[in-house]
Amino acid sequence: MKNNFKTLLNSLSFYRKKTYFFVIIFALATLGYYTLSQQYSADDIALFSNQSSADLEINMVVKEDGDILLNDKSIGNKIDVYADYDELRLPVIDKGGNYYSSVTINLKVPSNSGPSVKHEIIAIHGVGKTSSNMEDDGTIVYKANDVSKNATISIVAKFPKGIISIPVLKQTVAGISQVKDNYWLVIAVVLPLITLIYTLAFLFYQLRRHRIEIPEKEISAPPMAIPPAIVGALYNQKVGPREIAATLIDLAQRGDIVILDRDRDFAFGKAKFDQRLLGFEKLLLSKIFKNNISSNFDEIEKRINNHFYSKKISIVTAGIYALATRLGYFKISPQRIHSKYRIIGTSAFIIALIGFVLSLLLFTNPPYIVFFWVGMMASSLIIAFTAGNMPLRTTIGQEVLSNWFAFKKFLSNPDDFPYSENYLEIFNKYLPYAIVMDCETAWARRFKNHNFTMPDWFLTERGNLGLEDFCLSLFPIVSYVGRSLAALREPGFE
Amino acid sequence: MQKIVSKVLSKFGILFDLTKWIILVLVVLILVNVFWLTIFVVDGISMEPTFKDNEIVALNKFYFNNNDPIRGDVVVVRYPGDPVKKKYVKRIVGLPQDNVKISNGKIYINGIQIDEDYLAYDVDSDPNGSWKLKDDEYFLMGDNRPFSNDSRYFGPVEKRFLVGKAIAIIYPRFRDDFQ
Repeated sequence: MKNNFKTLLNSLSFYRKKTYFFVIIFALATLGYYTLSQQYSADDIALFSNQSSADLEINMVVKEDGDILLNDKSIGNKIDVYADYDELRLPVIDKGGNYYSSVTINLKVPSNSGPSVKHEIIAIHGVGKTSSNMEDDGTIVYKANDVSKNATISIVAKFPKGIISIPVLKQTVAGISQVKDNYWLVIAVVLPLITLIYTLAFLFYQLRRHRIEIPEKEISAPPMAIPPAIVGALYNQKVGPREIAATLIDLAQRGDIVILDRDRDFAFGKAKFDQRLLGFEKLLLSKIFKNNISSNFDEIEKRINNHFYSKKISIVTAGIYALATRLGYFKISPQRIHSKYRIIGTSAFIIALIGFVLSLLLFTNPPYIVFFWVGMMASSLIIAFTAGNMPLRTTIGQEVLSNWFAFKKFLSNPDDFPYSENYLEIFNKYLPYAIVMDCETAWARRFKNHNFTMPDWFLTERGNLGLEDFCLSLFPIVSYVGRSLAALREPGFE
Repeated sequence: MQKIVSKVLSKFGILFDLTKWIILVLVVLILVNVFWLTIFVVDGISMEPTFKDNEIVALNKFYFNNNDPIRGDVVVVRYPGDPVKKKYVKRIVGLPQDNVKISNGKIYINGIQIDEDYLAYDVDSDPNGSWKLKDDEYFLMGDNRPFSNDSRYFGPVEKRFLVGKAIAIIYPRFRDDFQ
């Protein structure tokens, strides 16, 4: 019963780990939204409320450093910095809940202010007359009468530059805010553009340095007996879906597994327990079969979809890179180089993201500086994505690859394959190499005029297929499994 | 130590890999919301009959970067008395340098009475008053004059307080012809 329920959930693409992850994301998003909405809904905060009095007098002081004292208690620095003046704009009463026949706000400004301070009182929602005056002793007196319980009263004082000593951080923020929006937009475009040009130039330079000589002659046999996945790693400098798919076909034609093609379905079966398999091949098989001797489409799909990442497949990839490095094709494992650039890219992205969020909080009206951080994010992604294409082969690797190019010429030769007794064996044997060197279709086309018999490792309910139908049945299966498994690698193992 | 660092980086890499597209989508949405297009819910009746209470309206925040506000534009404005927390939706009636005068319920701009066909029939614009607008000041009013707190009470508004231009009602009815 429990299993049936699980199968039903799986058939609806409901998988445990994915569900946990998105539940956490949803919970965080809800919490974030709730916190923010609480902040914004509290719009009735003001300095005074619930004071019952016919007349209200409020005494405030603006200190030279911008700190505001309210009845001798500091309420913080409320001065905003602009290009031509420094401004205090403060809501003093906001729906206080009481009627006042008069409200007087005495704002003592710094002694060096003089009469040049501009002042204003702004009042709405039921206020009679309002006025503001600068007294001789350097106090601005704001007055309002007939103040209703729903009234909102704000005071404004604009100080000429130099009267208030603005803290360095605030000055910096103001300075950045005053940079025109167009400059930030230009930076947002230019920064990733420079990164892109630099990385492309560097890539181009490296490609020239690591240029592979393409031989004129083709060779009709693999230059050396190494697994197709290693050839793929050397050829692409990456281990991807093709390397995994080629390994599966290679294992099949070596007699380790069989592939069953069924109507709208497929399965893999273990044909023998081979002790001579390479480490990465064993791990790949253990991922597909777990402890069983066969694995059908549902089971494979479940193993793929129930994970975000698979340690096994990551190790499979690392194993292929390690083997290629041990053979001297790479000085350092490509995986380590990719990881290094990925860490640089990710770190830059995180810094940009933190800068983006802080800018949204610190800057207002509007925070154009965020475009700088957006540019940095784009640059970091460019670094992370181009890192995988840096040529990393050693001189040995370049020479060996040159030989494999000669073999690729043979595989993709447009002429029919010369008839021989063992042409089918050759077709099957070289098919994995054709897959990792992106020429499997050309390789199959060389046999289109030959009689075709399906290999014994490929079983189908549709009887004996021709070459074209065989390819149309096999390639989607191995390509699906290869792509799905490759997608399970942890970040840094690409 | 190196192992711990690489383990932490690996876990961090996984978290980043899983969330990077969510982060990028959020960043794009935030950029759109902060700089270009957003929505607001009309709170109150001060803009009736143009906007009714609780209607959802689309706001173009980028519009005034390339265009000067014109008379008749419906705008969202930060309330000058509390620009951080309070925003209102009002209509631009007076432009920089204009002489705005309200007399006997009628509005005169530079001595000429203006025609306001967006108002409901027989609405007065009391109370009387006159204002001389400075270089970057705008005179804003709600369409429902008897029930609107606007420049008649809090004075002309500097351009820096304009948030954007209302472009369409999107819910519960669609309308974009209110200018």
